[in-house]
Amino acid sequence: MANRRVLIKRRKAVRNIRKITRTMQLIATARFQAAFTRAIATKPYSEKLAELVADLSKAAEGVDHPLMHAAEGIGRSAMVIITSNRGLCGGYNSNVLRTAVEHLDRAKETGLDTEVHMVGKKGISYFKFLGREMVERITHIDDAPKFEQIEPIANYLMGQFVRGEIASVHVAYMKFISTGRQQPEIMQLLPLAQDEQADADEASTGGGEAETQYEFSPEPKQLLEELLPATVRTQLFQCFTDATVSEQIARMVAMKAATDAAEDMITTLTRQYNRARQTQITMELLDIVGGANALT
Amino acid sequence: MVKSNTFHCSVITPEKAVLECDATSVVFPAHDGEMGVLLNRAPLLCKMGIGALRVETAEDKQIMFVDGGFAQVVDNRLTILTEQAKTPDEIDRAAAEAILVEVQAMKITDEATYIARDKAIQRSKVQLKLTKKQ
Repeated sequence: MANRRVLIKRRKAVRNIRKITRTMQLIATARFQAAFTRAIATKPYSEKLAELVADLSKAAEGVDHPLMHAAEGIGRSAMVIITSNRGLCGGYNSNVLRTAVEHLDRAKETGLDTEVHMVGKKGISYFKFLGREMVERITHIDDAPKFEQIEPIANYLMGQFVRGEIASVHVAYMKFISTGRQQPEIMQLLPLAQDEQADADEASTGGGEAETQYEFSPEPKQLLEELLPATVRTQLFQCFTDATVSEQIARMVAMKAATDAAEDMITTLTRQYNRARQTQITMELLDIVGGANALT
Repeated sequence: MVKSNTFHCSVITPEKAVLECDATSVVFPAHDGEMGVLLNRAPLLCKMGIGALRVETAEDKQIMFVDGGFAQVVDNRLTILTEQAKTPDEIDRAAAEAILVEVQAMKITDEATYIARDKAIQRSKVQLKLTKKQ
């Protein structure tokens, strides 16, 4: 009897959990849709910016900017690690953090001390647990990162870089490749990659359009000096939007798995319960039959 | 686009495309003063300042606060890339006022803080001006 009641209780508990995980899955799906639209909306800006940089570097004949060269002989660098504020998203945070820690350790072997700018409560508590240092902890960025929130971080890092306090800036985040695939990635934010510029150059000349004779105001070189920091800011912003999309997908997948597991468990528990009930009925019948037999 | 005097105008921020329309005239704040664009403008690449962006379409007029960025004109397409673009409805007047008071009290220690203060003051003043017109 006791066994049966326990089984019923457990089944009820699992049903409740399934209800919760299913709701969370639905919420994550809705959030993913929103985050995805937002991520798509950032594309035109960055594409246009890349186009302008390509046009300008042609006009300025060769690009040379402090953001493109690392100062020599600096033993420090910086890294932004983007994790989530909330849990229940499967391997999302641990994947990013593992990749980041590997990178940090490798950098340490080559003699680079890395300052960690940690975004997200999950990453902060993990690094606390490991006893690693963080120079900055950012928790105010939520599902919908705003450009105004990212800008100060980018400006601060660029300032440090230009002053020669750090040799490079990397970003560790979950890159969104497709709905079915996300990958933890370490992206080099600074120094700005030169080959990317070349790619952009090629892309614009490859189109075979006649070169536009622009009227520049101010001089191309000065314009470029403004454009490159804007590129860096946008790149960092895109990392954040990518990361939020990936986070929602991870949560969606994790909650789907949890719902499925709960369903399986309910089936097993129901089976166990039925068997227990059957056993009990048989026992009772045996008792009655035994009793009747004893009387006659 | 039959015998019209309009050209395409798009305003894009890192977050989204704010405005896509066919305009008859656009006035934007360049880094050294306001600049107007009409149909068949020569290709231009220009740094922008802080100020009011005025877009006139055949039907109506729009005004917007923009904070720096770049403007590009090619083939009768004007693209404005800016890190912030707000319509007067989106501007928080109280917040702008508070910032203005705050930055006016800011101390200038070097060139960087001077520029930052100057920009912040300009930013809030333009926003206040835009909301007043409503």
